[in-house]
Amino acid sequence: MSRTQLLDAHQAPITVQQYFADGDPGPIVAALANVPELMAPTLNFVGAALGPGSVSVRAKELAILRTSVLQGCRYCVHAHTAVALDVGLTTDEIRGLRGDIVLEDAFPEVAERALIGWIDALAGATGPIPDDVWNAARAHWPEHALVELTVTVGATMFLNRFATGLDLPTSAEVVSRLSMAGLA
Amino acid sequence: MTSSAVTEALASGELPGRVWIYSNYHCNLACSYCLTESSPRSERRELTAEQMLTIAIEAKALGFSGVGVTGGEPMLLPWLPETVAEMADHLPVILLTNGTLLGGDRFERAAPLAHPNIALQISLDSHLPDINDMARGPDNFDKVVAIVPRLIVSGIRVRIATTTGGALDDPALDPLRELVRSLGVRDEDHIVRPIVRRGRADERDLGVHAIARDIPSELTIAADGAFWGSFGPTVRAGRLDTDLLLTRTILPLSIPASALLATVRGLPEGADASLGIR
Repeated sequence: MSRTQLLDAHQAPITVQQYFADGDPGPIVAALANVPELMAPTLNFVGAALGPGSVSVRAKELAILRTSVLQGCRYCVHAHTAVALDVGLTTDEIRGLRGDIVLEDAFPEVAERALIGWIDALAGATGPIPDDVWNAARAHWPEHALVELTVTVGATMFLNRFATGLDLPTSAEVVSRLSMAGLA
Repeated sequence: MTSSAVTEALASGELPGRVWIYSNYHCNLACSYCLTESSPRSERRELTAEQMLTIAIEAKALGFSGVGVTGGEPMLLPWLPETVAEMADHLPVILLTNGTLLGGDRFERAAPLAHPNIALQISLDSHLPDINDMARGPDNFDKVVAIVPRLIVSGIRVRIATTTGGALDDPALDPLRELVRSLGVRDEDHIVRPIVRRGRADERDLGVHAIARDIPSELTIAADGAFWGSFGPTVRAGRLDTDLLLTRTILPLSIPASALLATVRGLPEGADASLGIR
């Protein structure tokens, strides 16, 4: 179970009760509520970093799910497998990102393979991104897109550590959905 | 929300002028209606003397007009009287105490509290010793009745706080009011207030229900964070109530004060702001 108390609507601090108004807001909000002054800045940042931007939703979800796999975050892999299905990634693409099948078989497009290589260098290693990886990605993605995706990957890594460090539970709804899709 | 917005809100009365400080949570008593489940076995959860003085200094700079110190029993902290006296050099201080730790040889500990900016607020709930002591512990009545005149003679201003489960204007309180006068306490320094149904009082089904708007929005600082109102940092079944938590950050004081102001401006009117909670 979670390492920290997950606050419910009755325990929610007065400054963040609006996040609980529509029911269970999920474990990230319920955990963050323990430090209410961090709620709005954190969710605003994460929302901007992971939400709609100049980069396609598909590319962002590739970045989020792959980063979560590299960081070994069970909670985020589960949650973003469900999101990936929602935004149209195929089961094979998700399996490829999760390392269950050969990545190249799942992503025949050179541009996406270059992007995944760039994500691996950013989220799965330390140090600067090697020139060949950077240049391969830049051949298909504008510089501003890589800057935006760097923020996306960084915010995802924050969420990975938050969810894993606090051992946040995957919701039963997500587990059920992934089971039905053969991706649990 | 900026510090200047807080200062303006304090000047206009939009925010109440007093900051409350929970110096600690442990207590030598274990009162039946205690909001914080305080007892000798409670986790101490103390603020430091430096933190308390800093709160007073920053409160004055922001425009607050007074400080209240409560607990737990603040007088369990050996450095407390001297620190409160230092705080009172900056802002008027009301120190809530059960008054039972100043008897006998310990009376000299009260000496620093003979300060024009300090008032001691001591609890006394009934003119009947048995009734008072049932809620507050053995011999509490005798200790309070003995210590109050000594404090007053020593030049210390004393207020008496009565917490009641009945009506605030109940004629049954008249003998208590007379007793308080006979101890040398002025009527305006005798505060009668309801039991608020939070903490141990809630577990024991005592007191009045209150929502945030019913509770004065006085900024309240404890080791656990900053809260809406002095009834905010309550404890139930050993767990801190977080519903009135504003921020975990307590210093600089402008951070929780700004959060309080934003919350005051965002909340609807309460169902009943006439409960006399103070």
